[in-house]
Amino acid sequence: MLKINNLHAAVEDREILRGIDLEVRAGEVHAIMGPNGSGKSTLASVLAGSEKYTVTEGSVEFLGRDLLTLPIEDRARMGLFLGFQYPVEIPGVTMANFMKLAVNEQRRFRGEAPLSAAEFLRLMREKSKVVELDAKLTSRAVNEGFSGGEKKKNEIFQMAMLDPKLAILDETDSGLDIDALRIVATGVTKLHTAENATVVITHYQRLLDYIVPDVVHVLYQGRIIYTGDRTLALKLEKEGYDWLINDYKE
Amino acid sequence: MELHEIIRSLRPIGEEPLRIVAPGKMPGTASGCFPGSAPARGVSECILPESPASECETLGAIDPLQVRIVAGAGTSVRLAVLHTQPMATHIELVAEEGASIALTEIFTAGAAAELSIRQAASSRTHLTLVELAGAEVHCTTDLAGGAARCEQQALLLVGGEEQGLLTLRTNHLVPDCTSRAQVRGVAGGRATGTFRGLVYVAPDAQRTDAGQQCRNVLLSDTAHIDAQPQLEIYADDVQCTHGATVGLLDRDAIFYMRQRGIDERQARQLQLTGFVSELLQGCSPEPLCDALTAAVGERLKML
Repeated sequence: MLKINNLHAAVEDREILRGIDLEVRAGEVHAIMGPNGSGKSTLASVLAGSEKYTVTEGSVEFLGRDLLTLPIEDRARMGLFLGFQYPVEIPGVTMANFMKLAVNEQRRFRGEAPLSAAEFLRLMREKSKVVELDAKLTSRAVNEGFSGGEKKKNEIFQMAMLDPKLAILDETDSGLDIDALRIVATGVTKLHTAENATVVITHYQRLLDYIVPDVVHVLYQGRIIYTGDRTLALKLEKEGYDWLINDYKE
Repeated sequence: MELHEIIRSLRPIGEEPLRIVAPGKMPGTASGCFPGSAPARGVSECILPESPASECETLGAIDPLQVRIVAGAGTSVRLAVLHTQPMATHIELVAEEGASIALTEIFTAGAAAELSIRQAASSRTHLTLVELAGAEVHCTTDLAGGAARCEQQALLLVGGEEQGLLTLRTNHLVPDCTSRAQVRGVAGGRATGTFRGLVYVAPDAQRTDAGQQCRNVLLSDTAHIDAQPQLEIYADDVQCTHGATVGLLDRDAIFYMRQRGIDERQARQLQLTGFVSELLQGCSPEPLCDALTAAVGERLKML
């Protein structure tokens, strides 16, 4: 589904990603861990097409297409979803209007007819249950005045609405209390199928108690320096990163 | 329905001064009399119908030369004025004790309008002012009776080579009055928008509560917005806030929307519509508000 080959990316001449290789297949869950500043969020943003970063080398193939040449919205319409670490507030735009436009734009891209108002409301009601999202939030402006937990639930709600092929969740667990973490993580698990894939970026093993990864990667200084199975996350939680990164320290 | 159709469907405001009187105040006069009843001393009087459903009448005018409305004590009236010609208009509104006036004023051409509003004790006014083209508007509000309150919402949309000007002057002449002004500006092309706001608080106008906020978005490098909110305060026990910002569209919000599959043009539109829509929420009646929202949406696409 996703093939990243020797990806390098920079922001204002400072190289952040320094040769990422990663392959994600349908049905898989990958976890990307690593110390602060290692490039995890940059990788997520570059894949989504953020204009803050410049890709200087390498290639990314998504569902057989050259991802890096596609505009942001086409990546999304092909089924790439980014769960934001810091969801953005959009004053004056209601969640319902925002989602209706997004869902119908994605449907149009796939050659499907737009949802009627009734169909859309039904879909919204059904999907808001995935993360126990308060129905009132959908009539409020996007993320405006939402609590930290509501913002993250709202990201997974949007993921449920858009049903992506590949979801990249950038620190979806940060800033969540234990109950919210359980709800968000369980929501992600409910949405996982054999046809889609999930990449979770996280600092903490506790998220992976719910979202069980097939593969765990450690990102450090812009490279994946170690890949293991789910037990790697447990080891990192206990022992930290030092045993891995000592050889790489500059 | 188009804006002008809706306004044409309202009760027309004549050129002669009009006084709104509460039912029961003038027995023996037929209700729903305006316009055209013989003006007494140059003033035609209008009795509000008894039925509570139509307690708040809506009067409309397109390109009037002058409008003078006196809302008698305890009455409510709604007005909608549309300017489609580059000509000058003078509008005078008087809210007597406890009266309430809501005015929606819309400019689709480079008209010049002078508005003067005078409010007696415990009266309310609500002004929604929308410049869909570069017009010149000067509005002065005198809060002349205790516990009077005015709310003003203004939207300035200018594009191309247009020049839009809005002056809001609010005079707190007596104690215990409240005023709120919210101004939003969007300028594209080589247009210039100018906002001058002044809240004046007279020496004994204690416990004044005044707020004036102006937020603006520039859509191009060549567009220009000049926002000057000012306070002139001569009383010491007051609460006055003012502020102005000029910025660009939020790139992070556009990225967020595009990441959900909305293209850049629509994401910009959605953000701009959101920016201005909060301002239109207080406008009434509903069909007018809907048509106005649609007209604003169309206008934003062209900036």
